[in-house]
Amino acid sequence: MIMAEPVPGNEPETSAPESEADLVRGARRGDLQAYDQLVKRYQERIYATIYHMTSNHEDANDLAQESFIKAFQALKSFKGGSSFYTWLYRIAVNKTINFLKQRKNRLHMSLNDIDFNAEHDPDVMALISEQTPRRAAGLTELQEKLNAALMKLSEPHRLVVVMHDVQGLSHEEIAEAMDCNVGTVRSRLFYARQQLQGYLADYLKPT
Amino acid sequence: MNENENNFEPLRRLLALKRHETPPPGYFENFSGDVMAGIRAARREKSVSARLPEELPWLFRLLSAFEAKPAFAGVFAFSLCLLLVVGIVYAERPDAAPQSLLQTGQAGSPLAVATPANLGSMTVEQPDLVPLSSTNPVFNSQSAGPWFASGGASFQPVNFILPGN
Repeated sequence: MIMAEPVPGNEPETSAPESEADLVRGARRGDLQAYDQLVKRYQERIYATIYHMTSNHEDANDLAQESFIKAFQALKSFKGGSSFYTWLYRIAVNKTINFLKQRKNRLHMSLNDIDFNAEHDPDVMALISEQTPRRAAGLTELQEKLNAALMKLSEPHRLVVVMHDVQGLSHEEIAEAMDCNVGTVRSRLFYARQQLQGYLADYLKPT
Repeated sequence: MNENENNFEPLRRLLALKRHETPPPGYFENFSGDVMAGIRAARREKSVSARLPEELPWLFRLLSAFEAKPAFAGVFAFSLCLLLVVGIVYAERPDAAPQSLLQTGQAGSPLAVATPANLGSMTVEQPDLVPLSSTNPVFNSQSAGPWFASGGASFQPVNFILPGN
């Protein structure tokens, strides 16, 4: 299962059995079934964002659940100025960043397994091909090095890389979710990539 | 910007590996259920705290005062301890309470205890204090004096003889 999903807002809403607006209205009235539908709709994306930020499954599980619970409790304050997903995303991101600040220097990785689809991903296979400088490196080692390098970045820089390069969000969507302008997103992305390239030089083959 | 994108292409390929990190199988099947359970638990917790001001406003005010003024909580706790100590000390003197009560009764208090032993003397000295309850088995004829003496009325026992006896 690939965690990156279509960008919110580009989804065909008409195919959904119940629109997001209806579900949000129901949830605001206290309808747990409606909110359950919303949770099921966004659980994978929210979990994935938090997981890639923390590199820890247990922390991501706790934070994702807490984010959904907090969002339900705060639904009355949701004015509908942005999409529900963007609003929910902000809650999850803020919660994660606060958690990471509190747990600074006391973080440990608890990585999920790589699914079997990775073996069919041409990008991933290229990493362990003959042209890779460290061709002895297996996927697990690459995974650990990659996560360790990501954890060296500051939270805002890591978040931009995760949202853009892992989850496939556009600069504009990231700017909205992070409540900053697009220029800031671009500069953070450039700086974060530079940093990562330095940390992972041994594992990156030149183009 | 495109040149920059090209420079980072190997890195982007490496980052693609992150998309294949997935949680244990079946993880998302239980996820929403766990969230709903958390929401229900939070609701129950909130409902208890929300009911308190409505059902026990005095307790809520007291607890609020404790939170606002810790010194008040200390004074309250000290008062309770003092009351407890006084209660224990007083309870260890079993003769103290009855004696004091009897003394007040003998001193002519309206709250005097009417016992069969002292009832006669009470009626002589303080006729107004004789209990007039219909359940009182003792009736002192002297106490009727003031009621009938002023009119000079006399009374004698009457025997009714029923026909046929």
